Amino acid sequence: MKRIVIADDSATARMFIRRCLDIIGLGDAEIVEAEHGKEALAAAKAAPTDLLLSDLNMPVMDGETLLKWVKASPKLSDLPVVIITSAGNPAKEKELLKLGALKVLNKPVAPPMLMDALASFLDD
Amino acid sequence: MPHQETATYKAMLDATRQTFENMAFVEVTEQSEELAFESPTHATWVSILIHDPLQGEVRIALPSALLTNMTADMFGIEIEEVSESQHQDIIAEMLNTLAGLFMTNLIPEDQTYQLGLPEHGEGPVPENEENAIVWNLQIEGEPLLIVANGNGFSAYNN
Repeated sequence: MKRIVIADDSATARMFIRRCLDIIGLGDAEIVEAEHGKEALAAAKAAPTDLLLSDLNMPVMDGETLLKWVKASPKLSDLPVVIITSAGNPAKEKELLKLGALKVLNKPVAPPMLMDALASFLDD
Repeated sequence: MPHQETATYKAMLDATRQTFENMAFVEVTEQSEELAFESPTHATWVSILIHDPLQGEVRIALPSALLTNMTADMFGIEIEEVSESQHQDIIAEMLNTLAGLFMTNLIPEDQTYQLGLPEHGEGPVPENEENAIVWNLQIEGEPLLIVANGNGFSAYNN
């Protein structure tokens, strides 16, 4: 079973992402929810994790800082990170991809968008 | 140029429609005149600051009862089960999404922008600044008011 960490300070956003995961066939994955980057980082370190879906704009630790921590961690550097944000545009997307994000998606997230972003992940 | 034909107006209208239709499955339509809130003390509003490349604020206000109905539908629960935190979280997340889409629609692709964290209010909707841009919209016959305060937005109309 895959283990997926969702980091977003909004319960609504986490609910939407969960629904999308369910629709694209990841409903049986173990989903761990985190309200900010620091909590997500701890969750990702706590057990082998297959995917991290993170918002950008969060209190305590934002998504960009989380991405930097993940990519700098020898234990987590291979963890695929997808950023799902309302503050994304081509310039920001370029920055985040350079930092190691697998994909950058704009809210509102929809199942086809997530399915496309996770195509390689879903094939495994 | 009429207000409704400016790039700023269209950017916000598209962002609002996309947000509400995708997240709440409700249709947003334009109003020629501002719809009055049945009671100003029963409105919920939330605002978000935009930093760089312009300084501004986007605020959204709608009747609290409409928001409660939407929240129940979105979470798949009864109206009586809607909690205050769900109520506030949904409108904050919708504004966050809407503001992001608005800025993405408005500014050039090579520019980044930053959004603040949403702030809530209930009761009388705050008065608009003198140079505010106002979108009078409706959902299912109920008012949906969107206001952008700040000098920078209209600079993108050209």
